[in-house]
Amino acid sequence: MAPKFYHDDPVWADIDPLPQDDGGLHPLAAINYTDEYSEAMGYLRAVMANNEFSKRILELTEHVISLNPAHYTVWLYRAKTLFEINAPLRDEIEWLNPTALKHLKNYQIWHHRQTVIEALGSPDGEADFIDSMLEHDSKNYHVWSYRQWLVKRFDLFEGKGELEWTEQMVEQDLRNNSAWNHRWFLVIGGRDGRALDEETFKREMDFAKRLVRKAPQNQSSWNYLRGLARHANSTSALKDFALEFADLSRPDEIHSSHALDLLADILATEEDQKEEARQALDLLATRYDPIRAYYWNYRKGLLEQPGAVA
Amino acid sequence: MPAEMRLFVDKHVRYIQSLDTREDELEYWLTEHLRLSGLYWGLTALHLLRHPHALPRQEILEFVISCLHENGGFGAAPGHDAHMLYTVSAVQILATLDAFDELEERLPGVRQKIGHYMANLQDPQTGTFLGDEWGEHDTRFLYGALNALSLMGFLHLVNVDKAVDYIQSCANFDGGYGTGPGAESHSGQVFTCVGALTIAGRLDLVNQEKLGAWLSERQLKNGGLNGRPEKKEDVCYSWWVMSSLAMLKKLHWIDGEKLTAFILKCQDPELGGLADRPGDMVDVFHTVFGIAGLSLLQYPGLAEVDPV
Repeated sequence: MAPKFYHDDPVWADIDPLPQDDGGLHPLAAINYTDEYSEAMGYLRAVMANNEFSKRILELTEHVISLNPAHYTVWLYRAKTLFEINAPLRDEIEWLNPTALKHLKNYQIWHHRQTVIEALGSPDGEADFIDSMLEHDSKNYHVWSYRQWLVKRFDLFEGKGELEWTEQMVEQDLRNNSAWNHRWFLVIGGRDGRALDEETFKREMDFAKRLVRKAPQNQSSWNYLRGLARHANSTSALKDFALEFADLSRPDEIHSSHALDLLADILATEEDQKEEARQALDLLATRYDPIRAYYWNYRKGLLEQPGAVA
Repeated sequence: MPAEMRLFVDKHVRYIQSLDTREDELEYWLTEHLRLSGLYWGLTALHLLRHPHALPRQEILEFVISCLHENGGFGAAPGHDAHMLYTVSAVQILATLDAFDELEERLPGVRQKIGHYMANLQDPQTGTFLGDEWGEHDTRFLYGALNALSLMGFLHLVNVDKAVDYIQSCANFDGGYGTGPGAESHSGQVFTCVGALTIAGRLDLVNQEKLGAWLSERQLKNGGLNGRPEKKEDVCYSWWVMSSLAMLKKLHWIDGEKLTAFILKCQDPELGGLADRPGDMVDVFHTVFGIAGLSLLQYPGLAEVDPV
């Protein structure tokens, strides 16, 4: 795109650009801009000093954002302008969509979007937008945080397809920890401590077990499964499930270090099973997760302490 | 020791010194929005490398002052709005340079102002901290505020108990912490939450076994650490993960030798600096956190870093 300048644009003839004030001349601080950015910033400083809110501010801020989207001051001034002049907020969202796709790791853009959607009072269209973002980076932290905000703000916990969508995301990539976290948020985390009913608990356990079986060496699904069990105080009930992947009588055929870890935890709480627990931890330290040998050996040490439970 | 298994101290010092002479490069002005933090990272790296005077003290001080606003906050660079993150960086730089008295002499009352700027960003309802008057919140700001306020002796200006409650509400089912209640566990956020609890003297609230296990699980077979389950390794997590483990006194739960080797492989042996992973472009952010990681691993010749 050709650079845009303001000095010869009649729309901006009334503005004297304000030069950068970098507090005097320090070699360490001197900031050298390209001419285009430097001029646009000069006009922006000038209109901000005048507290001007008008349609052309939207054009100017759009230009500066396209050059440097991480400049948080510009976003804040743009938001203020939108509300001052009652700009059509749907248009703002239309503009934000491709802009967000260009700058996947930018914080400001999400904050701005949240402000605009809050003012619109409706999540319509946001699910499609999020899908297009996740196509580029399915674990983008900003996107998932924003999704949580939408769920909470517009009460999308039940009956709005959110659970089904999460299932789809997890099935697409079993190792997408962000999707698992979102599931937890829907079922337990976002509900302000509301108790889990038996039916939901069973549904979620079955869900997690099914996906663990698909990829037994996946941290995310095991974390979810163990989190659920702990939440319902029923970790020991997972013993048979752990044995499916880690049978101590066949130490050459362990299919999951996470199953061994869980098994060791359960065995440590049982009478007369300390030796088996030690065996599981040994297998982890020497064969199935040796990079964490120090940790597994620490866990073994805990077994010696009477009454200690890992 | 093979040549690639050494830390190229002189090259890293020169790399950091060169950062502010690159004004004609596009990247330089694109990173203007975090200039003050960049300066803090560079300065810290130099201290860890035992070359604390490699950047000119007076010029740093002038630059920091040029980012100060009337309200007591600092922007990332002159002309940028005040923001919590850069105010924290400014305070950290001032503490490193031991320059609070000098600053106060030049601008009487400024310490109180800086302290109040940060204290006023605490949300009285939830106890967390906002990044600026516009309301973005993230446990990064909470940690930053407690860190900077404690450096200045101003912790009493805020409601520490309420902040602690908020951190507890960010604890997740897997033992980690996120940017806010319900947000996915992330090593960087674990550091901010554990750091804040350490400053508040409330590490007793952490499920230390579980969090320690989650943190040690961040180590991958190549020795590097990742930030979240099933993600790639990155040098910066050498700091976020290791400092958290250090605060929990569980540093020995990871394989230090393998991590040291991984960090050293991320060096640019020609021009200095460290990258996120071997072969990538270096930057000051990964340089300081890689070196700080090595310091926690007690790499010979480095100054000792405080994990908080």
